[in-house]
Amino acid sequence: MARVLTVPAGRVQPNLTLLGWGGVTFVGALLLPWHRPGRDLFTFVAEATGLALAPSSPVILAILMLAAAAALTGLLPRPEAVRGRAAVFAGAAGALLTIGYTVAARRPFSGAEVAAVLGFLSVLGTGLALTGVLRVDAFLAGSILWVTVFVMIFILYPLWAVLQAAVVVKGQLTLAVVIDTLTSPGFLLVNNPATPRNETAMAATVGGIAAIFVATVGAVRRRPVRRIVGWTLGAGIGAGLFAALYLGYGALRNSVLLAVIVGVCATGLGFVFALLAERSRLRTRRLLGPFSILPIITPPFVLGLAMIYLFGRRGFVTHGLLGLSTSVFFGPVGVAVAQILAFAPIAYLVLEGVVQAMDAALEEAAETLGASRWYVLRTVVWPLARPGIANAFLLVAIESLADFGNPIILGGGKGFLATEVFYAIIGRFNPNEAAVYGVVLLGMTLSIFLIQRYWLGRASYVTVTGKPSGASPRPLPAALDLTATAVFVLWAVLILALYGSVFVGSVTKLWGFDYSFTLKHLRDLSPQGWNVFWTTTKLSAYAAIPSTLLGFLIGYLVTRTEFPGRTALEFSSMLSFAVPGTVMGIGYILAFNQGALLLTGTSVIIILAFVFRNMPVGIRSGVAAIHQIDRSLEEASTMLRANSALTLWRIVIPLVRSALLSGLVFAFVRAMTAVSQVIFLITPQHNLATTQILSYIEYGSQGRGAALASLLTVFMVLVILVLYLVNRRLDIGAARELAQT
Amino acid sequence: MRKVVLVVLALIVASLGVASAAPGGKVTVLCSPNLAWCDAVKADFPKATGIAFEYIRLSSGEALARLRAERQNPSLDVWFGGTGDPHIVANEEGLTEFVRPRAWNDLRPEFREAVAGKYIPLYAGILGWAINDRLLKEKNLPVPTSWKDLADPRYRGLIAYPNPSTSGTGYTMVATLVQLFGEQQAFDLLKAIHKNVAQYTRSGAAPGELTGRGEVAIGITFIHDAVDQVLKGFPISYNAPRDGTGYEIGGLSLVKGTLNRANALAFIEWALTPNAQRIAAEQGQSYQIPSNSKTQVPRVAPRFESFRVIKYDFVKYGSAAVRDGLVRRWTREVETLPK
Repeated sequence: MARVLTVPAGRVQPNLTLLGWGGVTFVGALLLPWHRPGRDLFTFVAEATGLALAPSSPVILAILMLAAAAALTGLLPRPEAVRGRAAVFAGAAGALLTIGYTVAARRPFSGAEVAAVLGFLSVLGTGLALTGVLRVDAFLAGSILWVTVFVMIFILYPLWAVLQAAVVVKGQLTLAVVIDTLTSPGFLLVNNPATPRNETAMAATVGGIAAIFVATVGAVRRRPVRRIVGWTLGAGIGAGLFAALYLGYGALRNSVLLAVIVGVCATGLGFVFALLAERSRLRTRRLLGPFSILPIITPPFVLGLAMIYLFGRRGFVTHGLLGLSTSVFFGPVGVAVAQILAFAPIAYLVLEGVVQAMDAALEEAAETLGASRWYVLRTVVWPLARPGIANAFLLVAIESLADFGNPIILGGGKGFLATEVFYAIIGRFNPNEAAVYGVVLLGMTLSIFLIQRYWLGRASYVTVTGKPSGASPRPLPAALDLTATAVFVLWAVLILALYGSVFVGSVTKLWGFDYSFTLKHLRDLSPQGWNVFWTTTKLSAYAAIPSTLLGFLIGYLVTRTEFPGRTALEFSSMLSFAVPGTVMGIGYILAFNQGALLLTGTSVIIILAFVFRNMPVGIRSGVAAIHQIDRSLEEASTMLRANSALTLWRIVIPLVRSALLSGLVFAFVRAMTAVSQVIFLITPQHNLATTQILSYIEYGSQGRGAALASLLTVFMVLVILVLYLVNRRLDIGAARELAQT
Repeated sequence: MRKVVLVVLALIVASLGVASAAPGGKVTVLCSPNLAWCDAVKADFPKATGIAFEYIRLSSGEALARLRAERQNPSLDVWFGGTGDPHIVANEEGLTEFVRPRAWNDLRPEFREAVAGKYIPLYAGILGWAINDRLLKEKNLPVPTSWKDLADPRYRGLIAYPNPSTSGTGYTMVATLVQLFGEQQAFDLLKAIHKNVAQYTRSGAAPGELTGRGEVAIGITFIHDAVDQVLKGFPISYNAPRDGTGYEIGGLSLVKGTLNRANALAFIEWALTPNAQRIAAEQGQSYQIPSNSKTQVPRVAPRFESFRVIKYDFVKYGSAAVRDGLVRRWTREVETLPK
């Protein structure tokens, strides 16, 4: 379909964007309330509308006039640049006035502020685009401003609140809490007084050995002296620190070791599964997709519960089959296994897309040039997969740091950073102490994040060019295929056994003692469980769409547009990616518990927590997908005079549709199974299935916990199945469309 | 694609419409006892009064933390159940207020006296141990009889007790030891027991469950929670240490500053009636001694006569300074002690 835009000479068309946004702002500010009496966001207070307030409040009158002015600018018979300047003024002044009014009023905000701030930002964005300050069109300029404000309010502000709470106690700036917390033996003890050995000396020895080894290798290989010194220092300090952590005691040590081990193992498994899913020649290939992501559909700690069922001291396997009485899985080992099982699917999902998007033509070329399959794997596949692997590791490590369900259920009383945060808030309500732990977690994830960016550098990984490649995926070397498939089969059996035990647990009287069939646990869900299940589904569905779209939009903005502050925006939205859910959770209660931004106790704050927690996944998958699309496709669309909204809708979105749809499913699933970021936000009215299951397990109704977990599992499988079918139908539809053109 | 998006949007709008159905009168309760009891109340209270019932289940320490967090904007109306000490702390900090219910004179006088007008007594329970005799026999270990026995290194990895910072049961245990042995000796004992502890649980009932499942051999918990595990079919027994044990008087408090006072008071009145208290044992798997003297005591409820129960000083150990001090000391010196 071609649309020809003709501009009649001598007459300026009205600017409908300005007219529209100005109008929306005006109507919203006039008819919606400016504040609310309680927590409920949707109470309509007639006395608080702009209509009622304007006569007595000059600020609101000014806001209304600015909105009207912005709308009229659109009709102004002047060149676009002149209109643009007027719009910039009206938009900026209006937004600032609105924010100033709300902050000064100190009353919980309501609909009018939302309409006015977003409306004025759109006007401002349109103005900036018209004047050429932002070298993008009105749609993208408005998007940039909206996204910036969202990121500032819902990511930066809560983090700021955490940092502040760590050093400001009762209005006084002090380092007392920081020092107190960090010197606590529960945080880190390098020398464990309970053991006879001297841990410091041992760590120093390990560091020394590593340094000598690296120096020797460097000298033998005749590397430049400066590099040898650098590597030696790095290896010595790194190995020493790691050894100190390994030998030490405390929450920091436990969390770091756990995150590293879980990160490496889960990423490895995820990569193996992704390769198998795309490249295996064995029949099992078809099973890879469903089995690799299965554990993601339940909250992580459900696997912890199943581990107790199967591998606990009275576990079905350990005690029933093998006759052992072991508590080895009751402790860090059990936590690590449960987390690897729970988080490998995240790695798989990241890596699946990466492996899928690799252009087989590159490998074909390498093979044609005489490279062996191993060599191709090492020199073509690995470099292409590297960014994905780094992403996967980062995601898994962060999830592991944030997860407190498994450590609480299986940790055997060992402290982890996430459980310390949890007990500091839930048990002692000491937000300052929790904030200090939060800052530590934040520091750790940020450093992994920075290391990862350093490692990836600025390499280009464009493989989708819009030109057909025609090569089919290259199969794996047979030995690798077989070994990897064996690992996968083991995994699948384990997962099935674990879920099977949860299902059996939900319909048997008493796991481990009385295996007779009963529906009692399922019936017992009726007063509370069903309600909670419905609430969870609803809130997760509300959150999934904005988090996917927002994530994709940010991904698009940071990869495809240039504007001042782009790097800052990218960094801030990635910041939320590098923040463990637990930290965001404290940030949200600290930031939104009072004043103009009062949101706690509502369902909206839970949705927002989901959106901004899961959005970074959308950003990552969006960036990854967009990176693989050749920019020339969009440039062609722009040259045919489509604006950016149209280009996004008709060119980019269809190309990344499957990434978007899986992003949507992923966002929904993650919201359904989220615990750490929302456990502090739930209320009796808005309780969530995950926290309810955790309650059931923790408060001694394991049967009921298993019943609710089974229900959740079955439901999630159904959802994923439906979306999978829809996606396939869409693919078929697209193929047909393509065939017709 | 467009159709799918439209359908999804339409569904969301539709469900928003369903969601915003206006509720009538309701009461929002912080529920600290067993989940089964909370669920039973949720089923029965609306039938009796026509007022809707919403609850969130939090252990007593967590409940106190929640009330502290919401000091400025309380969203809860009543705190139902949970050990007494945090109820007293909440009262002293102005988070809850004492109201004298109509049934006040029907409540057991010894309970009324012990709580000194800080909260309304709801039930009483005795601290003790759930014991997995089978596991002990497998390991050729004797059944412990005194608190000091628990420090015996032979019980390594075989003991669980609740975390005093989240659980009122855990705090009751710490306060009981302090009252029995004095603070310094009590903490020395706790540090020695620490080496044997497999897990500090979040809730007070969980050690009973861990014992039942055979993950640990001795779970320190309220005896009525151990009774629950026995009735569920777990092969365990229960007892209390011979050198003396503490007890709780579970509380009922009105949250100060609630916007929903009338319904909150209606709930409190209802919760003290014999009919309401009966459901604890009948449907709620909770076998405490009910506070209303007209409520029949459940047949299986552990009685004070059967154990050596100390004269627990609720006023002292319920004061904010003492409680926070002990919890803090436990967190710093015991929980984090390397093993």
